[in-house]
Amino acid sequence: MNAILTPAMLAKPPFVRNAVEVTHVSKHFGKLAVLEDISLTAPSGSVLAIVGASGCGKSTLLNIIAGLARADQGEVRIDGVASEPSLDTRVISYMFQEDRLLPWRTIVANTEFGLEAGSLSAAARRERALAALKMTGLEGFESAYPHELSGGMRSRVALARSLVVKPYILLMDEPFSKLDPQMRSQMHEELLRIREQLKMTVVFVTHDVEEAIVLADKIVVLRPRPGRVRESLVIDLPRPRDPLAAEVAETVRRVRALI
Amino acid sequence: MASLPATSTGFLARSGRMNGFARMAGQRLSLLAVFLLLWWLAAQRVPAFILPGPGKTWSALTELIANGTFAEDLGITLYRVVAGFLLAAIVGTPLGILLGSNRRLGNYFEPVLSVVNTVSAAIWAIFALIWFGISNGTTVFVVFMEAMPLILTNVWQGAQSVNAEYVELARSFQMSRAKVMGKIYLPTVLPYFFSGARLAFGFGWRVSLVAETIGSSNGVGYRLRQAADLVQTDQVFAWTLTMVVLMVMLEYGILKPLENHLFRWKRRA
Repeated sequence: MNAILTPAMLAKPPFVRNAVEVTHVSKHFGKLAVLEDISLTAPSGSVLAIVGASGCGKSTLLNIIAGLARADQGEVRIDGVASEPSLDTRVISYMFQEDRLLPWRTIVANTEFGLEAGSLSAAARRERALAALKMTGLEGFESAYPHELSGGMRSRVALARSLVVKPYILLMDEPFSKLDPQMRSQMHEELLRIREQLKMTVVFVTHDVEEAIVLADKIVVLRPRPGRVRESLVIDLPRPRDPLAAEVAETVRRVRALI
Repeated sequence: MASLPATSTGFLARSGRMNGFARMAGQRLSLLAVFLLLWWLAAQRVPAFILPGPGKTWSALTELIANGTFAEDLGITLYRVVAGFLLAAIVGTPLGILLGSNRRLGNYFEPVLSVVNTVSAAIWAIFALIWFGISNGTTVFVVFMEAMPLILTNVWQGAQSVNAEYVELARSFQMSRAKVMGKIYLPTVLPYFFSGARLAFGFGWRVSLVAETIGSSNGVGYRLRQAADLVQTDQVFAWTLTMVVLMVMLEYGILKPLENHLFRWKRRA
Protein backbone atom coordinates (compact mmCIF):
# COMPACT_ATOMS: atom_id res chain seq x y z
CA MET A 1 0.00 0.00 0.00
CA ASN A 2 3.01 2.26 -0.16
CA ALA A 3 2.81 2.94 -3.87
CA ILE A 4 -0.32 5.01 -3.74
CA LEU A 5 0.49 6.99 -6.84
CA THR A 6 1.70 5.09 -9.83
CA PRO A 7 2.00 6.48 -13.35
CA ALA A 8 -1.03 5.39 -15.34
CA MET A 9 0.99 4.05 -18.24
CA LEU A 10 2.67 1.42 -16.07
CA ALA A 11 -0.46 0.37 -14.25
CA LYS A 12 -2.57 -0.23 -17.35
CA PRO A 13 -2.80 -3.93 -18.20
CA PRO A 14 -3.05 -4.60 -21.94
CA PHE A 15 -6.47 -6.32 -21.92
CA VAL A 16 -8.46 -3.38 -20.48
CA ARG A 17 -11.20 -2.07 -22.76
CA ASN A 18 -11.43 1.70 -22.84
CA ALA A 19 -14.88 3.23 -22.53
CA VAL A 20 -13.53 6.68 -23.38
CA GLU A 21 -10.35 7.29 -25.29
CA VAL A 22 -9.24 10.83 -26.10
CA THR A 23 -6.22 11.16 -28.35
CA HIS A 24 -4.36 14.39 -29.15
CA VAL A 25 -7.41 16.63 -28.81
CA SER A 26 -6.93 20.38 -29.30
CA LYS A 27 -9.53 23.12 -29.22
CA HIS A 28 -9.40 26.85 -29.91
CA PHE A 29 -12.00 29.54 -29.36
CA GLY A 30 -10.97 32.09 -31.94
CA LYS A 31 -7.32 32.80 -31.23
CA LEU A 32 -7.51 31.49 -27.69
CA ALA A 33 -6.11 27.99 -27.27
CA VAL A 34 -8.29 26.21 -24.74
CA LEU A 35 -7.05 22.64 -24.99
CA GLU A 36 -3.73 21.48 -26.36
CA ASP A 37 -2.90 17.91 -27.25
CA ILE A 38 -5.01 16.18 -24.61
CA SER A 39 -4.82 12.41 -24.44
CA LEU A 40 -6.50 10.29 -21.80
CA THR A 41 -8.34 7.04 -21.36
CA ALA A 42 -11.07 5.82 -19.04
CA PRO A 43 -11.12 2.02 -18.80
CA SER A 44 -14.57 0.49 -18.94
CA GLY A 45 -16.23 0.43 -15.53
CA SER A 46 -13.76 2.84 -13.93
CA VAL A 47 -14.15 6.31 -12.49
CA LEU A 48 -11.98 8.98 -14.08
CA ALA A 49 -11.60 12.43 -12.56
CA ILE A 50 -10.34 15.39 -14.55
CA VAL A 51 -8.91 17.89 -12.09
CA GLY A 52 -7.56 21.36 -12.60
CA ALA A 53 -7.81 25.00 -11.67
CA SER A 54 -10.46 27.10 -13.37
CA GLY A 55 -9.56 28.11 -16.90
CA CYS A 56 -7.90 24.84 -17.81
CA GLY A 57 -10.70 23.85 -20.17
CA LYS A 58 -12.15 21.02 -18.06
CA SER A 59 -15.72 21.66 -19.08
CA THR A 60 -14.79 22.12 -22.74
CA LEU A 61 -13.04 18.76 -22.67
CA LEU A 62 -16.13 17.14 -21.15
CA ASN A 63 -18.33 18.79 -23.79
CA ILE A 64 -16.11 17.35 -26.50
CA ILE A 65 -16.35 13.88 -24.99
CA ALA A 66 -20.13 14.31 -24.75
CA GLY A 67 -20.37 15.39 -28.39
CA LEU A 68 -21.79 18.81 -27.41
CA ALA A 69 -18.66 20.48 -28.85
CA ARG A 70 -16.25 19.48 -31.58
CA ALA A 71 -12.49 19.15 -31.25
CA ASP A 72 -10.38 21.09 -33.77
CA GLN A 73 -7.86 18.29 -33.85
CA GLY A 74 -7.63 14.81 -32.42
CA GLU A 75 -10.15 12.09 -31.88
CA VAL A 76 -12.58 10.88 -29.24
CA ARG A 77 -13.42 7.19 -29.24
CA ILE A 78 -16.33 5.91 -27.22
CA ASP A 79 -16.07 2.19 -26.52
CA GLY A 80 -13.58 1.92 -29.34
CA VAL A 81 -15.75 3.71 -31.89
CA ALA A 82 -14.95 7.21 -33.16
CA SER A 83 -17.59 9.50 -31.70
CA GLU A 84 -19.97 11.49 -33.82
CA PRO A 85 -22.02 14.45 -32.56
CA SER A 86 -25.12 12.38 -33.31
CA LEU A 87 -24.07 9.51 -31.10
CA ASP A 88 -26.69 7.52 -29.27
CA THR A 89 -27.41 8.95 -25.83
CA ARG A 90 -28.28 5.66 -24.30
CA VAL A 91 -24.52 5.24 -24.23
CA ILE A 92 -23.60 8.61 -22.76
CA SER A 93 -25.39 10.70 -20.21
CA TYR A 94 -24.34 14.17 -19.16
CA MET A 95 -24.90 15.68 -15.73
CA PHE A 96 -24.46 19.44 -15.66
CA GLN A 97 -23.03 21.67 -12.98
CA GLU A 98 -26.51 23.06 -12.29
CA ASP A 99 -29.36 20.64 -11.78
CA ARG A 100 -31.31 22.17 -14.71
CA LEU A 101 -34.63 20.77 -13.55
CA LEU A 102 -37.53 22.11 -15.57
CA PRO A 103 -39.61 24.08 -13.05
CA TRP A 104 -42.92 23.30 -14.78
CA ARG A 105 -42.48 19.56 -14.50
CA THR A 106 -42.96 17.31 -11.49
CA ILE A 107 -40.04 15.26 -10.26
CA VAL A 108 -41.12 12.14 -12.13
CA ALA A 109 -41.76 14.14 -15.31
CA ASN A 110 -38.33 15.74 -15.00
CA THR A 111 -36.81 12.28 -14.73
CA GLU A 112 -38.74 11.08 -17.77
CA PHE A 113 -37.33 13.99 -19.77
CA GLY A 114 -34.16 11.97 -20.33
CA LEU A 115 -36.15 9.40 -22.29
CA GLU A 116 -38.33 11.71 -24.32
CA ALA A 117 -35.99 11.98 -27.29
CA GLY A 118 -36.50 8.28 -27.90
CA SER A 119 -39.57 6.34 -28.87
CA LEU A 120 -40.43 4.55 -25.62
CA SER A 121 -44.11 4.42 -24.69
CA ALA A 122 -45.32 6.73 -21.93
CA ALA A 123 -45.91 3.77 -19.62
CA ALA A 124 -42.39 2.43 -20.16
CA ARG A 125 -40.94 5.89 -19.55
CA ARG A 126 -42.87 6.25 -16.33
CA GLU A 127 -41.76 2.81 -15.16
CA ARG A 128 -38.10 3.53 -15.79
CA ALA A 129 -38.31 7.01 -14.24
CA LEU A 130 -39.83 5.54 -11.08
CA ALA A 131 -37.07 2.94 -10.94
CA ALA A 132 -34.41 5.66 -11.32
CA LEU A 133 -36.04 7.74 -8.58
CA LYS A 134 -36.10 4.72 -6.31
CA MET A 135 -32.43 4.16 -6.97
CA THR A 136 -31.58 7.72 -5.96
CA GLY A 137 -33.74 7.58 -2.84
CA LEU A 138 -36.54 9.84 -4.02
CA GLU A 139 -39.50 7.53 -3.57
CA GLY A 140 -42.54 9.48 -2.42
CA PHE A 141 -41.47 12.72 -4.06
CA GLU A 142 -42.61 11.85 -7.59
CA SER A 143 -45.35 14.45 -7.81
CA ALA A 144 -43.50 17.30 -6.07
CA TYR A 145 -42.28 20.28 -8.08
CA PRO A 146 -38.57 21.23 -8.15
CA HIS A 147 -39.04 24.41 -6.10
CA GLU A 148 -40.37 22.32 -3.24
CA LEU A 149 -37.11 20.37 -2.91
CA SER A 150 -33.79 21.13 -1.23
CA GLY A 151 -30.57 21.50 -3.22
CA GLY A 152 -29.45 17.99 -2.34
CA MET A 153 -32.71 16.44 -3.44
CA ARG A 154 -32.73 18.43 -6.68
CA SER A 155 -29.26 17.07 -7.31
CA ARG A 156 -30.61 13.54 -6.82
CA VAL A 157 -33.34 14.24 -9.37
CA ALA A 158 -30.71 15.42 -11.87
CA LEU A 159 -28.80 12.21 -11.19
CA ALA A 160 -31.94 10.13 -11.68
CA ARG A 161 -32.61 11.93 -14.97
CA SER A 162 -29.08 11.02 -16.11
CA LEU A 163 -29.48 7.41 -15.00
CA VAL A 164 -32.89 6.84 -16.53
CA VAL A 165 -31.32 6.36 -19.97
CA LYS A 166 -29.24 3.51 -18.48
CA PRO A 167 -25.97 5.09 -19.55
CA TYR A 168 -22.87 3.14 -20.32
CA ILE A 169 -20.87 6.27 -19.59
CA LEU A 170 -21.88 9.02 -17.17
CA LEU A 171 -20.20 12.40 -17.67
CA MET A 172 -20.45 14.93 -14.87
CA ASP A 173 -19.39 18.58 -14.80
CA GLU A 174 -18.76 19.53 -11.15
CA PRO A 175 -22.16 18.05 -10.37
CA PHE A 176 -22.08 18.40 -6.59
CA SER A 177 -20.12 21.64 -6.30
CA LYS A 178 -23.17 23.59 -5.12
CA LEU A 179 -24.04 21.23 -2.28
CA ASP A 180 -22.94 21.57 1.32
CA PRO A 181 -20.07 19.23 2.34
CA GLN A 182 -22.26 16.75 4.20
CA MET A 183 -24.72 16.45 1.34
CA ARG A 184 -21.86 16.15 -1.09
CA SER A 185 -20.28 13.17 0.65
CA GLN A 186 -23.71 11.53 0.85
CA MET A 187 -24.08 11.98 -2.91
CA HIS A 188 -20.59 10.52 -3.41
CA GLU A 189 -21.63 7.36 -1.60
CA GLU A 190 -24.83 7.10 -3.61
CA LEU A 191 -22.98 7.62 -6.87
CA LEU A 192 -20.45 4.89 -6.12
CA ARG A 193 -23.19 2.49 -5.08
CA ILE A 194 -25.20 3.15 -8.24
CA ARG A 195 -22.11 2.89 -10.43
CA GLU A 196 -21.45 -0.53 -8.95
CA GLN A 197 -25.04 -1.54 -9.62
CA LEU A 198 -25.17 -0.29 -13.22
CA LYS A 199 -21.54 -1.08 -14.11
CA MET A 200 -21.10 2.42 -15.55
CA THR A 201 -17.97 4.24 -16.51
CA VAL A 202 -17.94 7.66 -14.86
CA VAL A 203 -15.92 10.61 -16.14
CA PHE A 204 -16.20 13.77 -14.11
CA VAL A 205 -14.64 17.17 -13.90
CA THR A 206 -13.90 18.88 -10.61
CA HIS A 207 -11.66 21.45 -9.00
CA ASP A 208 -12.08 19.69 -5.66
CA VAL A 209 -9.12 17.34 -5.24
CA GLU A 210 -10.64 15.60 -2.25
CA GLU A 211 -13.76 14.78 -4.25
CA ALA A 212 -11.60 13.42 -7.07
CA ILE A 213 -9.64 11.16 -4.73
CA VAL A 214 -12.65 9.85 -2.84
CA LEU A 215 -14.39 8.87 -6.09
CA ALA A 216 -11.86 8.13 -8.79
CA ASP A 217 -9.81 5.15 -9.88
CA LYS A 218 -7.74 7.47 -11.99
CA ILE A 219 -7.06 11.20 -11.98
CA VAL A 220 -5.93 13.37 -14.85
CA VAL A 221 -4.50 16.68 -13.67
CA LEU A 222 -4.70 19.53 -16.18
CA ARG A 223 -2.50 22.59 -16.37
CA PRO A 224 -4.26 25.84 -17.34
CA ARG A 225 -3.97 28.21 -20.30
CA PRO A 226 -3.99 26.30 -22.54
CA GLY A 227 -5.27 23.12 -20.94
CA ARG A 228 -2.67 20.37 -21.09
CA VAL A 229 -2.30 17.07 -19.26
CA ARG A 230 0.11 17.60 -16.42
CA GLU A 231 -0.11 14.20 -14.81
CA SER A 232 -2.15 11.05 -15.01
CA LEU A 233 -2.39 9.10 -11.76
CA VAL A 234 -3.94 5.83 -10.69
CA ILE A 235 -5.53 6.03 -7.25
CA ASP A 236 -5.16 2.62 -5.72
CA LEU A 237 -6.68 3.20 -2.28
CA PRO A 238 -9.11 0.74 -0.71
CA ARG A 239 -12.80 1.66 -0.77
CA PRO A 240 -14.79 3.11 0.88
CA ARG A 241 -12.46 6.06 1.18
CA ASP A 242 -12.80 8.30 4.17
CA PRO A 243 -11.46 11.77 3.36
CA LEU A 244 -10.19 11.99 6.93
CA ALA A 245 -8.14 8.76 6.76
CA ALA A 246 -4.40 9.36 6.75
CA GLU A 247 -3.72 7.71 3.38
CA VAL A 248 -6.47 9.64 1.65
CA ALA A 249 -5.45 12.95 3.20
CA GLU A 250 -1.86 12.33 2.20
CA THR A 251 -2.85 11.62 -1.41
CA VAL A 252 -4.99 14.75 -1.48
CA ARG A 253 -2.03 16.77 -0.27
CA ARG A 254 0.23 15.32 -2.95
CA VAL A 255 -2.21 15.89 -5.80
CA ARG A 256 -2.90 19.47 -4.64
CA ALA A 257 0.80 20.16 -4.99
CA LEU A 258 0.48 19.35 -8.70
CA ILE A 259 -2.15 21.96 -9.43
CA MET B 1 -36.30 11.89 4.14
CA ALA B 2 -39.03 9.28 4.12
CA SER B 3 -42.03 11.53 4.51
CA LEU B 4 -43.02 14.27 2.16
CA PRO B 5 -43.05 17.58 4.04
CA ALA B 6 -45.70 18.94 1.69
CA THR B 7 -48.29 16.39 2.84
CA SER B 8 -48.18 17.47 6.46
CA THR B 9 -48.42 21.16 5.64
CA GLY B 10 -50.85 20.61 2.78
CA PHE B 11 -53.90 20.27 4.98
CA LEU B 12 -53.10 23.35 7.03
CA ALA B 13 -52.46 25.34 3.89
CA ARG B 14 -55.77 24.22 2.46
CA SER B 15 -57.84 25.05 5.53
CA GLY B 16 -56.04 28.40 5.69
CA ARG B 17 -56.96 28.99 2.09
CA MET B 18 -60.62 28.12 2.80
CA ASN B 19 -60.73 30.66 5.64
CA GLY B 20 -59.14 33.22 3.37
CA PHE B 21 -61.70 32.41 0.70
CA ALA B 22 -64.64 32.91 3.10
CA ARG B 23 -63.23 36.22 4.31
CA MET B 24 -62.67 37.38 0.76
CA ALA B 25 -66.20 36.41 -0.29
CA GLY B 26 -67.58 38.36 2.67
CA GLN B 27 -65.58 41.44 1.72
CA ARG B 28 -66.67 41.26 -1.90
CA LEU B 29 -70.34 40.86 -0.98
CA SER B 30 -70.26 43.81 1.42
CA LEU B 31 -68.56 45.92 -1.26
CA LEU B 32 -71.34 45.00 -3.68
CA ALA B 33 -73.98 45.91 -1.08
CA VAL B 34 -72.36 49.32 -0.45
CA PHE B 35 -72.23 49.97 -4.18
CA LEU B 36 -75.89 49.06 -4.68
CA LEU B 37 -76.91 51.24 -1.75
CA LEU B 38 -75.02 54.28 -3.07
CA TRP B 39 -76.46 53.70 -6.54
CA TRP B 40 -79.98 53.48 -5.13
CA LEU B 41 -79.51 56.63 -3.00
CA ALA B 42 -78.11 58.61 -5.93
CA ALA B 43 -80.96 57.51 -8.20
CA GLN B 44 -83.53 58.76 -5.70
CA ARG B 45 -82.69 62.40 -6.43
CA VAL B 46 -82.12 62.23 -10.18
CA PRO B 47 -84.58 61.70 -13.04
CA ALA B 48 -84.59 58.12 -14.36
CA PHE B 49 -83.47 59.13 -17.86
CA ILE B 50 -80.21 60.40 -16.35
CA LEU B 51 -79.61 57.77 -13.69
CA PRO B 52 -81.99 54.84 -13.38
CA GLY B 53 -81.86 53.02 -10.04
CA PRO B 54 -81.00 49.36 -9.51
CA GLY B 55 -84.65 48.31 -9.56
CA LYS B 56 -85.42 50.07 -12.83
CA THR B 57 -82.24 48.70 -14.43
CA TRP B 58 -83.16 45.20 -13.33
CA SER B 59 -86.64 45.40 -14.83
CA ALA B 60 -85.17 46.79 -18.07
CA LEU B 61 -82.80 43.84 -18.13
CA THR B 62 -85.52 41.24 -17.57
CA GLU B 63 -87.59 42.94 -20.27
CA LEU B 64 -84.64 42.82 -22.68
CA ILE B 65 -84.15 39.15 -21.99
CA ALA B 66 -87.85 38.33 -22.24
CA ASN B 67 -88.85 40.05 -25.48
CA GLY B 68 -85.88 41.28 -27.40
CA THR B 69 -82.86 40.05 -29.26
CA PHE B 70 -80.81 39.87 -26.10
CA ALA B 71 -79.24 36.44 -26.64
CA GLU B 72 -78.73 37.14 -30.34
CA ASP B 73 -76.95 40.46 -29.72
CA LEU B 74 -74.84 39.03 -26.95
CA GLY B 75 -73.99 36.03 -29.12
CA ILE B 76 -72.95 38.07 -32.14
CA THR B 77 -70.76 40.37 -30.04
CA LEU B 78 -69.15 37.39 -28.35
CA TYR B 79 -68.61 35.77 -31.73
CA ARG B 80 -66.83 38.85 -33.08
CA VAL B 81 -64.63 39.22 -30.02
CA VAL B 82 -63.66 35.55 -30.03
CA ALA B 83 -62.99 35.59 -33.79
CA GLY B 84 -60.79 38.67 -33.57
CA PHE B 85 -59.03 37.28 -30.54
CA LEU B 86 -58.37 33.88 -32.10
CA LEU B 87 -57.01 35.51 -35.25
CA ALA B 88 -54.77 37.68 -33.06
CA ALA B 89 -53.50 34.60 -31.20
CA ILE B 90 -52.92 32.66 -34.42
CA VAL B 91 -50.95 35.52 -35.97
CA GLY B 92 -49.32 36.96 -32.86
CA THR B 93 -47.96 33.78 -31.27
CA PRO B 94 -45.76 32.49 -34.12
CA LEU B 95 -44.64 36.05 -34.96
CA GLY B 96 -43.70 36.60 -31.32
CA ILE B 97 -41.72 33.37 -31.17
CA LEU B 98 -39.99 34.25 -34.44
CA LEU B 99 -39.04 37.77 -33.32
CA GLY B 100 -38.05 36.55 -29.86
CA SER B 101 -35.77 33.78 -31.08
CA ASN B 102 -34.11 35.96 -33.74
CA ARG B 103 -32.55 39.07 -32.22
CA ARG B 104 -31.80 40.83 -35.53
CA LEU B 105 -35.33 40.43 -36.78
CA GLY B 106 -36.63 41.56 -33.40
CA ASN B 107 -34.55 44.73 -33.35
CA TYR B 108 -35.59 45.54 -36.90
CA PHE B 109 -39.32 45.26 -36.31
CA GLU B 110 -39.49 46.70 -32.81
CA PRO B 111 -40.59 50.23 -33.91
CA VAL B 112 -43.52 48.84 -35.91
CA LEU B 113 -45.03 47.48 -32.75
CA SER B 114 -44.70 50.77 -30.88
CA VAL B 115 -46.37 52.61 -33.74
CA VAL B 116 -49.25 50.14 -33.96
CA ASN B 117 -49.72 50.40 -30.20
CA THR B 118 -50.11 54.18 -30.32
CA VAL B 119 -53.02 54.09 -32.77
CA SER B 120 -56.29 54.41 -30.89
CA ALA B 121 -59.06 51.86 -31.21
CA ALA B 122 -61.40 54.55 -32.56
CA ILE B 123 -59.05 55.18 -35.50
CA TRP B 124 -58.95 51.45 -36.28
CA ALA B 125 -62.75 51.45 -36.15
CA ILE B 126 -62.93 54.25 -38.72
CA PHE B 127 -60.43 52.52 -41.00
CA ALA B 128 -62.38 49.31 -40.63
CA LEU B 129 -65.59 51.09 -41.54
CA ILE B 130 -63.95 52.36 -44.72
CA TRP B 131 -62.53 48.97 -45.64
CA PHE B 132 -65.21 46.56 -44.45
CA GLY B 133 -68.37 48.68 -44.21
CA ILE B 134 -71.15 47.65 -41.87
CA SER B 135 -70.24 44.02 -41.32
CA ASN B 136 -68.77 41.53 -38.87
CA GLY B 137 -65.39 42.23 -40.42
CA THR B 138 -65.27 45.74 -38.97
CA THR B 139 -65.52 44.64 -35.35
CA VAL B 140 -63.33 41.58 -35.87
CA PHE B 141 -60.66 43.80 -37.43
CA VAL B 142 -60.68 46.29 -34.57
CA VAL B 143 -60.47 43.52 -31.97
CA PHE B 144 -57.65 41.96 -33.94
CA MET B 145 -55.66 45.19 -34.23
CA GLU B 146 -56.03 45.80 -30.52
CA ALA B 147 -55.34 42.23 -29.34
CA MET B 148 -52.60 41.13 -31.76
CA PRO B 149 -49.84 43.52 -30.62
CA LEU B 150 -50.55 42.63 -26.98
CA ILE B 151 -50.20 38.91 -27.61
CA LEU B 152 -47.20 39.43 -29.88
CA THR B 153 -45.32 41.59 -27.36
CA ASN B 154 -45.85 39.14 -24.55
CA VAL B 155 -44.91 36.05 -26.54
CA TRP B 156 -41.89 37.93 -27.87
CA GLN B 157 -40.77 38.62 -24.33
CA GLY B 158 -41.39 34.99 -23.40
CA ALA B 159 -39.36 33.64 -26.29
CA GLN B 160 -36.46 35.88 -25.28
CA SER B 161 -36.54 34.49 -21.76
CA VAL B 162 -36.02 30.86 -22.81
CA ASN B 163 -33.20 29.44 -20.73
CA ALA B 164 -30.26 28.41 -22.93
CA GLU B 165 -29.26 25.86 -20.28
CA TYR B 166 -32.51 23.97 -20.76
CA VAL B 167 -31.98 23.93 -24.52
CA GLU B 168 -28.49 22.53 -23.97
CA LEU B 169 -29.92 19.92 -21.62
CA ALA B 170 -32.37 18.81 -24.29
CA ARG B 171 -29.55 18.73 -26.79
CA SER B 172 -27.46 16.52 -24.49
CA PHE B 173 -30.31 14.00 -24.67
CA GLN B 174 -30.26 14.28 -28.49
CA MET B 175 -33.69 15.88 -28.73
CA SER B 176 -34.87 17.02 -32.12
CA ARG B 177 -35.53 20.73 -32.82
CA ALA B 178 -39.25 20.13 -32.90
CA LYS B 179 -39.15 18.44 -29.49
CA VAL B 180 -37.05 21.29 -28.05
CA MET B 181 -39.73 23.70 -29.31
CA GLY B 182 -42.52 21.68 -27.75
CA LYS B 183 -40.82 20.76 -24.48
CA ILE B 184 -38.69 23.84 -23.68
CA TYR B 185 -39.93 26.83 -25.70
CA LEU B 186 -43.66 26.21 -25.38
CA PRO B 187 -43.78 25.78 -21.58
CA THR B 188 -41.54 28.85 -21.13
CA VAL B 189 -43.68 31.01 -23.42
CA LEU B 190 -47.03 29.78 -22.10
CA PRO B 191 -47.23 32.04 -19.00
CA TYR B 192 -46.32 35.04 -21.15
CA PHE B 193 -48.84 34.05 -23.78
CA PHE B 194 -51.46 33.65 -21.10
CA SER B 195 -51.00 37.07 -19.56
CA GLY B 196 -50.93 38.62 -23.05
CA ALA B 197 -54.04 36.75 -24.12
CA ARG B 198 -55.87 37.79 -21.00
CA LEU B 199 -55.09 41.46 -21.57
CA ALA B 200 -55.91 41.08 -25.24
CA PHE B 201 -59.29 39.52 -24.54
CA GLY B 202 -60.20 42.26 -22.08
CA PHE B 203 -59.16 45.02 -24.46
CA GLY B 204 -60.81 43.28 -27.39
CA TRP B 205 -64.06 42.98 -25.48
CA ARG B 206 -64.06 46.72 -24.69
CA VAL B 207 -63.09 47.98 -28.14
CA SER B 208 -65.59 45.66 -29.78
CA LEU B 209 -68.34 47.82 -28.29
CA VAL B 210 -66.76 50.97 -29.74
CA ALA B 211 -66.50 49.29 -33.12
CA GLU B 212 -70.10 48.06 -32.98
CA THR B 213 -71.50 51.48 -32.18
CA ILE B 214 -70.26 52.76 -35.54
CA GLY B 215 -69.71 49.71 -37.71
CA SER B 216 -72.59 47.30 -37.27
CA SER B 217 -76.34 46.93 -37.20
CA ASN B 218 -76.53 44.48 -34.31
CA GLY B 219 -74.59 43.38 -31.27
CA VAL B 220 -74.30 44.86 -27.80
CA GLY B 221 -72.44 47.99 -28.95
CA TYR B 222 -75.15 48.79 -31.50
CA ARG B 223 -77.92 48.25 -28.93
CA LEU B 224 -76.11 50.53 -26.49
CA ARG B 225 -76.01 53.36 -28.98
CA GLN B 226 -79.59 52.75 -30.02
CA ALA B 227 -80.74 52.88 -26.42
CA ALA B 228 -78.74 56.05 -25.83
CA ASP B 229 -80.19 57.70 -28.94
CA LEU B 230 -83.71 56.89 -27.78
CA VAL B 231 -82.87 58.04 -24.24
CA GLN B 232 -83.66 54.56 -22.87
CA THR B 233 -81.09 55.05 -20.15
CA ASP B 234 -82.35 52.05 -18.18
CA GLN B 235 -81.48 49.81 -21.14
CA VAL B 236 -77.99 51.35 -21.40
CA PHE B 237 -77.53 50.48 -17.76
CA ALA B 238 -78.92 46.98 -18.28
CA TRP B 239 -76.45 46.28 -21.08
CA THR B 240 -73.57 47.72 -19.07
CA LEU B 241 -74.50 45.52 -16.12
CA THR B 242 -74.60 42.49 -18.40
CA MET B 243 -71.13 43.20 -19.76
CA VAL B 244 -69.65 43.74 -16.31
CA VAL B 245 -71.16 40.51 -14.99
CA LEU B 246 -69.90 38.59 -18.03
CA MET B 247 -66.37 39.91 -17.61
CA VAL B 248 -66.32 39.08 -13.91
CA MET B 249 -67.61 35.58 -14.64
CA LEU B 250 -64.98 35.09 -17.30
CA GLU B 251 -62.22 36.28 -15.01
CA TYR B 252 -63.12 34.34 -11.87
CA GLY B 253 -64.96 31.44 -13.47
CA ILE B 254 -62.55 30.55 -16.27
CA LEU B 255 -59.33 32.54 -16.46
CA LYS B 256 -58.24 32.50 -12.81
CA PRO B 257 -58.89 28.77 -12.27
CA LEU B 258 -57.26 27.95 -15.61
CA GLU B 259 -54.23 30.02 -14.72
CA ASN B 260 -53.96 28.42 -11.30
CA HIS B 261 -54.11 25.01 -12.89
CA LEU B 262 -51.65 25.70 -15.72
CA PHE B 263 -49.08 27.39 -13.54
CA ARG B 264 -49.44 25.32 -10.37
CA TRP B 265 -45.71 24.60 -10.62
CA LYS B 266 -44.85 28.19 -9.77
CA ARG B 267 -43.58 29.07 -6.34
CA ARG B 268 -46.30 30.83 -4.41
CA ALA B 269 -45.00 34.14 -3.14
